Amino acid sequence: MENTGLSLVTVVLFLPLVGFSILLFIPDAQSRNIKYTALGTSLVTFALSLVMWANFDAANPALQMVQRWEWLPQYGIGYYVGIDGLNMIMVVLTTFIMSIGILSSFNAHVIQERGREKLYYLFMLLLQWAMIGVFVVQDLIIFYIFWEVTLVPMYFLVGIWGGEKRVYAAVKFFLYTMAGSILMLLALLYVGTQAGTFAVPEIIAGIQAGTISFPLDGLFSTQSILFLGFFIAFAIKVPIWPLHSWLPDAHVQAPTAGSVILAGVLLKMGSYGMIRFLLPMFPEASVAWAPIIALLAVIGIIYGAWVSFAQTDMKKLVAYSSVSHMGFIVLGIFAMTSIGIQGSIIQMVNHGISTGGLFLIVGMLYERRHTKDLAAFGGIWKAMPLLGAISLVVVLSSMGMPGLNGFIGEFTILLGSMGSTVLGIGFTVVAALGIILAAIYMLNFFQRIFMGELDKEENKNLPKLEWNEIAVLVPIVVLAIWIGLQPAPFMNPSDATVESLVAQVVPDTTTVAQLPEAGQGE
Amino acid sequence: MLEITPNTIAFLVFALLSVGGALGVVVSTNLIHGALFLIVSLFGGAGLFVLLAAPFMAAVQILVYIGAIAILIIFAVMLTRSMTSLSEIFNRQWWISAIVAVVMLGLLLVGAILPVWGPSGTNAMLPVSDAVGTTVDLGIALVDGNQFVLPFEVASLLLTAAMIGAIVIARDNE
Amino acid sequence: MLQLPSLETLNMGAALPAISIAAWACILLLIDLWIPKDRKILTVYLAAGNLVFAFIANLLVFNQSGDSFMGMYVADQFSGVMNLIIIGTALLSIVLSFDYLKRVGIERGEYYVLVLFVTAGAMFMAAANDLILIFVALELLSIPLYVLSAFRAPDIRSEEAGMKYFLLGAFASAFLVFGGAMVYGATGTTNLNEIAASAGMIIASNSSTSLFLLLGAALLLVGLGFKVAAVPFHEWTPDVYEGAPTPVTAFMSVAAKLGGFGSLLRILVVGMSAVTMTAGEPAVWQNVVAILAGLTMIVGNIVALSQANIKRMLAYSSIANAGYILMAVAAAGSPGLANEATRGALVYMLAYMFTNMGAFAVVIAVERANGGADLEHFVGLGKARPMLAIMMVVFMMSLTGIPLTGGFIGKALVFATTLNAGLVWLAIIGVLTSVVSAYYYVRVIVNMFLRDAEASTEEATPGYSTGVQWVAAVALGGTVLLGVLPTLITVLTDRVSLVASITP
Repeated sequence: MENTGLSLVTVVLFLPLVGFSILLFIPDAQSRNIKYTALGTSLVTFALSLVMWANFDAANPALQMVQRWEWLPQYGIGYYVGIDGLNMIMVVLTTFIMSIGILSSFNAHVIQERGREKLYYLFMLLLQWAMIGVFVVQDLIIFYIFWEVTLVPMYFLVGIWGGEKRVYAAVKFFLYTMAGSILMLLALLYVGTQAGTFAVPEIIAGIQAGTISFPLDGLFSTQSILFLGFFIAFAIKVPIWPLHSWLPDAHVQAPTAGSVILAGVLLKMGSYGMIRFLLPMFPEASVAWAPIIALLAVIGIIYGAWVSFAQTDMKKLVAYSSVSHMGFIVLGIFAMTSIGIQGSIIQMVNHGISTGGLFLIVGMLYERRHTKDLAAFGGIWKAMPLLGAISLVVVLSSMGMPGLNGFIGEFTILLGSMGSTVLGIGFTVVAALGIILAAIYMLNFFQRIFMGELDKEENKNLPKLEWNEIAVLVPIVVLAIWIGLQPAPFMNPSDATVESLVAQVVPDTTTVAQLPEAGQGE
Repeated sequence: MLEITPNTIAFLVFALLSVGGALGVVVSTNLIHGALFLIVSLFGGAGLFVLLAAPFMAAVQILVYIGAIAILIIFAVMLTRSMTSLSEIFNRQWWISAIVAVVMLGLLLVGAILPVWGPSGTNAMLPVSDAVGTTVDLGIALVDGNQFVLPFEVASLLLTAAMIGAIVIARDNE
Repeated sequence: MLQLPSLETLNMGAALPAISIAAWACILLLIDLWIPKDRKILTVYLAAGNLVFAFIANLLVFNQSGDSFMGMYVADQFSGVMNLIIIGTALLSIVLSFDYLKRVGIERGEYYVLVLFVTAGAMFMAAANDLILIFVALELLSIPLYVLSAFRAPDIRSEEAGMKYFLLGAFASAFLVFGGAMVYGATGTTNLNEIAASAGMIIASNSSTSLFLLLGAALLLVGLGFKVAAVPFHEWTPDVYEGAPTPVTAFMSVAAKLGGFGSLLRILVVGMSAVTMTAGEPAVWQNVVAILAGLTMIVGNIVALSQANIKRMLAYSSIANAGYILMAVAAAGSPGLANEATRGALVYMLAYMFTNMGAFAVVIAVERANGGADLEHFVGLGKARPMLAIMMVVFMMSLTGIPLTGGFIGKALVFATTLNAGLVWLAIIGVLTSVVSAYYYVRVIVNMFLRDAEASTEEATPGYSTGVQWVAAVALGGTVLLGVLPTLITVLTDRVSLVASITP
């Protein structure tokens, strides 16, 4: 595929930009055309990403459908895309969540209130382009470009169509994440100029072969500092406790689709970055820092769950639950076993689906009642039985009920961290506690909204679900059940790549890590 | 002792003009007179340059210092008329100028008496630069393509620009 | 006795772009007398036509490098790229000026002549290889700028700006001349190549002469530091930028920096790179410049946070940007990095030129008739003039250094070369202050898009005109193109090699 025509990855990457250009020429007043152009673009992109999946060779751990173009050859920077087991499923997740996000915005009140509908969908497509770019790009500088570009549309989505304190939340989001990523810019410039190329596979090959090396002696040597430069950027994005404080603000203020995308895809950019860049580029530092990071992750799991339980604002509750769930993902990554990392990858997908679903549900309730206060609800099941049933599935999936997708991810991660050679068993035990807490706060959430008596007058005549609302919820429920019962098709693609990755990072321990065999996981 | 030659006489005359003029600047109570004395003093300095075989410096001294700067001072004095007759020649800052004057004199004396400059100075053996030449050399240097024609032209451009600027700012809005 | 050298030995062709502008400025001054007051647009066309001619001429002689005027003027790829940027600045600001001058009633032909003089001065500065030419070129750049700052003369703030700029500028020139004299005293020459040849020996001899050389270099740095508005020589900047007519502010915020950095790079890299403690080490001025750069970025960005007036904010932003360019200058002190650092600085300056001219174009559109341009005036611009506001977003993003804009490419190259030079602490200051800067740039965006405008009877953009629109569009194109396809400029900058131009 190399350099012969367009790679499918390039097509998937640039399709949103094509839609963006078409959208530019549609007059502002043609609301219908604007909506359907945006939706059509995202659906075609989704379909093509499925074609990409179908053509993907799961047995091959290397990059596939590679495309390289020169950009700044004298600095060793080039357009370099390709997919492997790590990012293929992330691309599909992105295109899926974006289609859902765009479809769910069709009747949103805020857009009708604040206007500028076209601008909204322009930003959505721009965001989709940048997010796919983050996942498929294999060049450090181009990666950084896409990484930073995601900030801009998200900033506007929160800032223009957000809630009461949207300006504060948008600026905080922008500055917080920019502060993190700009240190990464320095680190990656250093890596690239030392290596003479910014192409990640070549840098990793150089590190493997010993031609490029960043010395590691002690916790604050060159490799450690570079590691931290990248890690802080990723940790803010994930977010890892204690760098999470931007997340509740951004989530609460963002419009529904913004929250869905934020939770569904943007947070994953951080954890994906850890797997793609941190582990293979700084293997020794990753091992050295793993216990500290795992500790933060576990604190995040417990803290997120605890704070989530105390919330009365629905969106905040879901936001803090994200902190908890993302803690699992980070724990799985820094267990440095192939099972743990595979669990993290599938859990990224799961979290995108179930938390995305939760935000959609919260958004639908908000559209009807214009409040996010839990106390304003109760007995909604009686008013909206369909929404109630769907919510039950999503809530159960989020808390890790066996048979649904959340269980697969969390179970695999715990299994992986148990077999870890770099982490002790204590992390697994405490993290398992997080699952119990999740059950408590999620059920509390469900009970206070849907159960009980329908005693509030305003809740008695809530409008039924619109067609587009059903259309976004159904795929989520279907996927939650599908992954829960049949995880293999979703996990197999990453097998080979993760195996070879773990072999690079901790060469002597790969066999040990295989110890426990997961019944449903493998 | 000094030999009485025409050179010595000329030196004495110019030195007298120079020092006497300077004295006149300091003691005259009329600023216009002071400015005129300054011209006399500067003229004496120009004469000294001639004696030192530096005719170009002498010409510059007369053209620039007498022709431009002294005249500018007179203009300035005339535009601020209240200053033309002063009863006091000292003000409260006299001691500052006294200190400066004494220090400068001291430095000059040190330079003149101690073997730093001149035939007995430490740098006396340094060959005088070839670049030191006549007015003709200087004139050629300014317009010779091998030397300073470009800075010379740019300098004239910038004077033009400055002149335009002065006119633009000073002109009334019609 | 006097033999007129032929044009070939002078190699005037190489200096043609600069000379044509200087000469045409004088001719235009006369032509303008016959252009009636209501048809001053002709003067604009004549001035712009000359700039376009010089631009094309510059492209034609781009690869034809060589000394002109026997080593006074060096036409190499460095001055080639600099000239392109300088001429671009002048063109954009002339287009910006016409409507503005008409609006505030100061329409005079001399304005364009003075702009041409400044342009020629900046071009001479970037190409000057001799301290004497650097000095007179600096004056040719500065004096018309003093006048332009005061061009709105009865307006008290404009007069104050001109006066302040003049006094402090004269002060800076004195430093520069004094520094030049000391360097001449130490080396016996004003030619940068010859200074380079003797500087190494002088430092090695460790005599008192080396002290003169260092002192002279320091004073030259002070003098040029004033021109590029580096901390601690920046105090004049906000007042002058605020008081001067806005197109002049736009013009001088770029042109004066270009000239200053052109000379600074030539003096330090060509003339002084051998000034090291031991051979193979970074030049001794590296740390001084690095500290200046750090201070400039910190002070510029932090003080900008508290500005309510957009022109003052952009003034501090321009101080901060001088700091980022100084980073590259500092990196050029490391052996073997001079070319890479110079290229980085050039790309940065090009990006800064587009971005800053665009931002000022929008400011001119928003500026009130009384000359006020506060951040508050941007509230609701996103609704009133969406295209203009979106352009402003791009300019602000570029100043912050967000990718897909030229500002990012410039910053990335500058940071990379700083890291290569081992100045990690400086690079860290650079990125941290970038985050600080994001706050005040984002505030403009917040005002335009995120805040709801109160019902206002005032028009949102009283200064809006086709000229403003064109400049903003061109600047946008340049900013984005540079961000998306940086190869377009790096094919030119890649040939720039300051060190190799030494032919002692």
